[in-house]
This record gives sequence, structure tokens and C-alpha cells, in this order.
Amino acid sequence: MRKNGVNMIKISAKNVDVFYGKKQALFNINLDIEENQVTALIGPSGCGKSTFLRCLNRMNDVIDICKVQGEIVINDFNINDKGCDVVRLREKIGMVFQKPNPFPKTLYENISYGPTIHGMAQSKQEMDEIVETSLKKAALWEEVKDRLHEPGTGLSGGQQQRLCIARAISVQPEVILMDEPCSALDPIATAQIEELIDELKKEHTIIIVTHSMAQAARVSQRTGFFHLGELIEHGSTDKIFKNPDNIKTQDYITGRFG
Amino acid sequence: MSEAPHTVKSYEEELKNLNSNIIKMGGFCEEALGKAVQAITMRNSDHAESVIKDDEKIDKFETLIEQQVVNLIALRQPMAIDLRETVTALKISSDLERIGDLAKNISKRTLLLNENLPKNLVDALVRVSSDVQKQLKSILDAYLDRSSSVAMNVWESDEKTDDLTNLCMQEVIKYLKENEKNLDDGTHLLFVTKNIERIGDHTTNVAEQVYYLVTGKYLEGDRPKGTEPIVTGEK
Repeated sequence: MRKNGVNMIKISAKNVDVFYGKKQALFNINLDIEENQVTALIGPSGCGKSTFLRCLNRMNDVIDICKVQGEIVINDFNINDKGCDVVRLREKIGMVFQKPNPFPKTLYENISYGPTIHGMAQSKQEMDEIVETSLKKAALWEEVKDRLHEPGTGLSGGQQQRLCIARAISVQPEVILMDEPCSALDPIATAQIEELIDELKKEHTIIIVTHSMAQAARVSQRTGFFHLGELIEHGSTDKIFKNPDNIKTQDYITGRFG
Repeated sequence: MSEAPHTVKSYEEELKNLNSNIIKMGGFCEEALGKAVQAITMRNSDHAESVIKDDEKIDKFETLIEQQVVNLIALRQPMAIDLRETVTALKISSDLERIGDLAKNISKRTLLLNENLPKNLVDALVRVSSDVQKQLKSILDAYLDRSSSVAMNVWESDEKTDDLTNLCMQEVIKYLKENEKNLDDGTHLLFVTKNIERIGDHTTNVAEQVYYLVTGKYLEGDRPKGTEPIVTGEK
């Protein structure tokens, strides 16, 4: 959605600090994520980019020693507030992980699981429609429509990842978080996912953590560079890759680090 | 280049190599222009012949640099400053190649010129050529030193070159009008003058590239222009 030629802000992180026990992992992160755009988070291992991604749907809650401070505002609502319904939040903010992780169930059940627990379908027919639409949006329908009741784990790696994306979009999330979604895939499966990301951004806001600089450059419109728990620089992807402002950003993306 | 070296040493070497090839190629162009001008002012045919012969070296550098750039893009996928290094090397090398060609053309014409040219005409030619030689040297230094301010100065000085060119053109036209016998030499000298001015233009192009390389920004606005070209000499 654009207003006066400016993209609307979907997520706004304000003064976010994250601690694992006594160790601080993120330092005062301030970042606005634009709606219907792909934002790539890059940086060396351990820089905090995945930690930040996990803040956006409160995945860090499951780690006992992890403490998140600051505001993360989505649709004018601070998700770190006590009153936040985390189950509803994760319905709105889906996630795709590095390693494809389909449930050990049929393809159909993989997709129908989310809509079932969120009570999104009133009948078998409605559920069939959700499964079909989700698989079509994930560009997997044609390949699997005749074996919907076979196990999801029987698919190839690239297909499994698209199944996970279909599963994520089945509950119509507004935001999709992707944590290195292609690192376990071959170049063809990677290209399919990248094409899919391009399609999905029409209806969803996407945030992707990637170690591949080339992938960040290819799929994203905005890029943020993290280093040692700080957000060093963020801005339009072409600016970051052609002429970054910060020397640390330049050293990282040109392969001069450390 | 950035302060810190690349983690992959061979990549670092490839970029350094590309950089040094541009500098070497630029050096050959400077030499070609210097000799081409001396060949006219000092009536030295040996200089003219060596410029014609050595143009091949400059052409070979262009091919080499083009191959290096294609390899870097295909195999290293350069980003940020490395990307700008790579892309500007390609563009600068093509301007330098044209400078070499123009110097060669000047030399070919020099070999056909009469031994005795009027002094005021030679003086006017020397004025514009020394100006262009100075700009070419400055911009090659600016490339080596990564100086955007020197690049900007060179870019702005093109105006002066245009003015000196016009003055020189006026002298040539005067010479042409004096006697029908001057027609051959005068025509060659018109081209020589124009070629020197074109070398100035290519130098300005290089200045734009150096500026982009260093700052990541384009020199905005129209290039400064000198007086309008003289057509008849009677304006």
C-alpha cells in the first residue's frame, strides 16, 4: 500500500534490546519495515539478525533466559505488551525456517492444520479451497494436486520448503518472516522460492534473513545490515549494494570483513 | 579502494591488477598525446610514427581490461566500491582507447603537413594542446589518488578547453583564407584542432567516472560549455 508515493510502515521497532541471560544480543534497534516490500536482514553469523526476526512474532518467548525490551509496533499495537495474544499474533505473522520442516502428516494436513486451529473453515469444501489456494500461491499445486494425501516429508527439499510457505500463507498472515529459507536448497529451487517471494509481496510484507548477499540484492527492496548486535545501516537495497554510507557495511558486502 | 583488504586474496589481486592496468593505459595515452603534439610543434616525424605504431598497445589494454571486467562480474559479483571500480574501469578504458585513436589520427595528419607553419598558428595549437595535456595528467592522478575534488576541477575546466579550441580554429580559418595553397594544411589543422578538443571531451568523461567511483554520485547538471563554435571566423 502506498500513500503519496511513500510506502506505509507495517512494523516499527523502537529501542529494542534483547538479552540472553546477562549477555546483550541486540542494542537499541530502531527499524521501520515497509508494507508490501521485501526487507532483507544481512550480517555475519551471530550479529543478531535472526534474534531480531524472532522478536517480530515473539518466538524468543520460548527461550527461558531471553528477555526483550523496547517496542515492536504492528498495526499500532505494541506486541510486547502483556495483553498481546501470541497465538493471534503468530496467525498474523507467519514464519518459514532455514530447514524445511513439514509436519509428519499428509500434504493436505500440513496446510489445513493452521486454518483448523484458527477456525477459518466452516466446511470440508471451504478447507479444500484454502488448501488449493495456498498451494497455488506457493506455486506447488500443479506438482502435488494428485497426491495431497501422501506424506509431506516425501517431497524434494525445494518442494518441502514451498509446502512450508503454503502452510504459512494458509492462515492469511499479513507478514511472513523467512529465516534463510533457501540455504538448504539447490539453485533451481532457490530461484523458485525467490520468484515466489516476489509474488507474495503483493499481499504480504516479507522479512528475510539471508547469508547470501546476492540473494538479498535480488529479492529485497530494503536491506538492513547488522553487526555485533547493532543495526549499522538500513536503506534501499540498491543504495546499500552500490554505495553504502557506512564503511562497515561496505567491508561486509564486499567481502573485506575481519 | 577500501582500506581493509578482501578476505579472498585472489579477488584483491584481480581488482588491484585492473586498477594498475588503467593507470598503465592512461600513461600510454599521455605519452601518445605528448608525442603527437611535439611532432607538430617540433616537426618531428619519428614521434608521429611512434604514436601511430604504439596505438596498438593502447587497443590491447582496452581488450584486456574488458576481459578482466567481464570476469570480475561473472566470477566475483562485485558490490559497492568494488562494483564501481569494475564498472568505471570499463568506461574509462573505452575513453582512453578513443584518446589513443585521436592522437594517432593527429599524427597521421602531422606527417602530411608542410614543414613551415605560421608561428601564431602553432602557438594557438600549443595553447590548447598543453591545456588538454594538463587535464589528462590531472585526471589520471585523480584516478590514482581517488580524488573527487580534482575530478570536479577537471570536469569544470572543459569550458576553458572549448574557448582555446575556438581561438585556435579562428587562427586556422585565417590561415585558410590567406591563400588557396593553404587548403591542404589548413584542413588537416582543423581536424587536428578538433581532435585535441575531442581528447579534452574524453578527459572530461573520465573525470565523471572518477567522481562516480569515489563518491557513488553522478556529477549533476550540464557539463560547462565555452563559447559557441566559430563557423566563419567573422562573427
